Amino acid sequence: MKNKPIVQIKNLKKQIGKTTIIHGISLDLFPGEVFGFLGPNGAGKTTTIRMMVGLMKITEGEIFINGFSVQKNFEKAIEHVGGIIENPEMYKFLSGYDNLIHYSRMIPKIKKHKIDEIVKLVGLEKRIHEKVKTYSLGMRQRLGLAQALLHSPKLLILDEPTNGLDPAGIREIRTYIRKIAAEENITVFVSSHLLSEMQLLCDRIGIIHNGKLISVETVKNMVEEQNEVSVHFLVHPLHKAFKFIQERYPHTLSRIKGERLVLNIREEDITEYTKVIVNHGFKLSGIHGEQKTLEEKFIEITGGDLHV
Amino acid sequence: MYNMIRLIQNENMKIYKRLGTWVMVGLIIFVVIISGLVDKFLLSSNMEGTWQEELQYQSMELEKQINEYESMPMVGNAIKPLKEQLVINEYRIENNVPPVENETIWGFMSSLSDITSFAAVFVIVIGAGIVATEFTTGTIKLLLIRPVNRAKILLSKYIATIIFAIFMLIIMFAGSFVVGSILYGFDRLDLPYLVYSGGEVIERNMITHILSLYGLNSVDMIMMVTFAFMISTVFRNSSLAIGLSLFLMFTGQQMVMLLSEYQWVKYILFANTNLVQYISGTPLVDGMTMTFSITVLIAYFICFVFTSWIIFERRDVAA
Ligand SMILES: Nc1ncnc2c1ncn2[C@@H]1O[C@H](COP(=O)(O)OP(=O)(O)O)[C@@H](O)[C@H]1O
Ligand SMILES: [Mg+2]
Repeated sequence: MKNKPIVQIKNLKKQIGKTTIIHGISLDLFPGEVFGFLGPNGAGKTTTIRMMVGLMKITEGEIFINGFSVQKNFEKAIEHVGGIIENPEMYKFLSGYDNLIHYSRMIPKIKKHKIDEIVKLVGLEKRIHEKVKTYSLGMRQRLGLAQALLHSPKLLILDEPTNGLDPAGIREIRTYIRKIAAEENITVFVSSHLLSEMQLLCDRIGIIHNGKLISVETVKNMVEEQNEVSVHFLVHPLHKAFKFIQERYPHTLSRIKGERLVLNIREEDITEYTKVIVNHGFKLSGIHGEQKTLEEKFIEITGGDLHV
Repeated sequence: MYNMIRLIQNENMKIYKRLGTWVMVGLIIFVVIISGLVDKFLLSSNMEGTWQEELQYQSMELEKQINEYESMPMVGNAIKPLKEQLVINEYRIENNVPPVENETIWGFMSSLSDITSFAAVFVIVIGAGIVATEFTTGTIKLLLIRPVNRAKILLSKYIATIIFAIFMLIIMFAGSFVVGSILYGFDRLDLPYLVYSGGEVIERNMITHILSLYGLNSVDMIMMVTFAFMISTVFRNSSLAIGLSLFLMFTGQQMVMLLSEYQWVKYILFANTNLVQYISGTPLVDGMTMTFSITVLIAYFICFVFTSWIIFERRDVAA
């Protein structure tokens, strides 16, 4: 993450007619990371992605890819981007191979063996010369990946790549994405409305809801947070106790809420904290634990639309 | 440039790898053959006398008609072509130049040039679909996220449509030549084409005449295809583009005819698409010239192309 960002989104807004769909999103993506763009249906994931690849005009703000502005220098900016936006719609009356030939003609300097290489990477060798209309959804997704990878992009954008796939298909796609990210060292920006899926796939996750980016966190942090509980201590004197805890446990998230001291700690540590508080002469008149896992937090944010 | 050729290759691949395209080609060939058979076996005038007698009879009829018209008000331009035909008929008899209209390969080929409008239907179908179907099938998204600007993509699509138009015309021309030569042989290949110009009859080369007929008839086709292309780009709906273009193509001339007493009618597209009116016939509205029509056509053409381009360039793709 010390590297220069490959994508910079600055205060991105989109207005269609009178309604604002995206309300000022700012985000940086770094080389080699798999970034999850998580949000319920209608949150604005596809709209954001459409602006990133120049399919939709930006109302306000700016997007830079590899240092080039998408609005002002589209061809340069998009040169190192591959993507699937919503469904991988390809020409059904052409063979998979002809589809790839088609896209390869739109990129300068592409070698024919590169096509064969990619076909092998996504495991479509056997059926590549058949018409796309005979393909299953999973095969179409893989062909979609192939067209996105043809020109060795630095950034791969995938909009809900597992939509409509069965669990086996989902696992398959996940394997490919991981493999690609590791082998080709490219940044993957993948959107989804499924938290569980994102956790397995991504290094970092940004949560979007109603066109706003609510939080961006590393999956590692999220997983740690997930074991934590907010524990409310009814303690006297309150402010002195707060100060004491802050000094003794600087890494513990602590705050004052009403008449209570609230600590985000792991369940198994509750005894220890209680002991320390009592042993240092504070008066404890009640403990109340509030379950607040990650998933519940999402559900609260998104009003229950987010599938876990 | 190299870039552009590859884009056109792509569009061609999408046109010619479709079964529907070849069905259209098959239909064109079928229609050419059927017209040949009808021309030869159903329409052939069972001439009793020589062509001279036939022409004299036709001239008599023409004179009768001219007299009738002259006693009627509001006939206007209708008399002029009849009179010219009369002069040409006299020239034929005096100089021993039989008409080509029936029973020759030339007659067949020039009569078939009228059915370029049939080929136009197919070209309009292709032109109306080439942008719109990318939107309806959603393939537009993957097409536009490439390092190629939208104007080039649109241009490649337009060029591919025009190439298809030329392909269809060649098939018609070659097809009618083959069918004509099988049915009528190569007799009387040297017959000239007669035109009435500036008060006298002039002999012209037949093959250039037929080629120019095809050329002039395809002006209509090009304009309507460009129109369909524009509608399809603006509304992203190929059925609408096909329907509207065909409706206008087949009724436009009639509408102009109905309104021909007004001067402004000459600025309507359809008053100008039929350029054949300037070589074999009389203009719809007095005072219209070939130059005038070509200027109007170019103005419409620029308007259609410009509209398509602006809309395509600015469009938010939310398909
Ligand atoms: N072309 C459009 N016109 C008006 N509203 C739109 C348009 N496209 C999307 N929206 C609205 O914008 C919001 C975000 O949509 P979208 O980006 O597709 O969400 P997601 O991909 O996260 O499911 C939705 O509320 C949707 O109704
Ligand atoms: Mg979406």
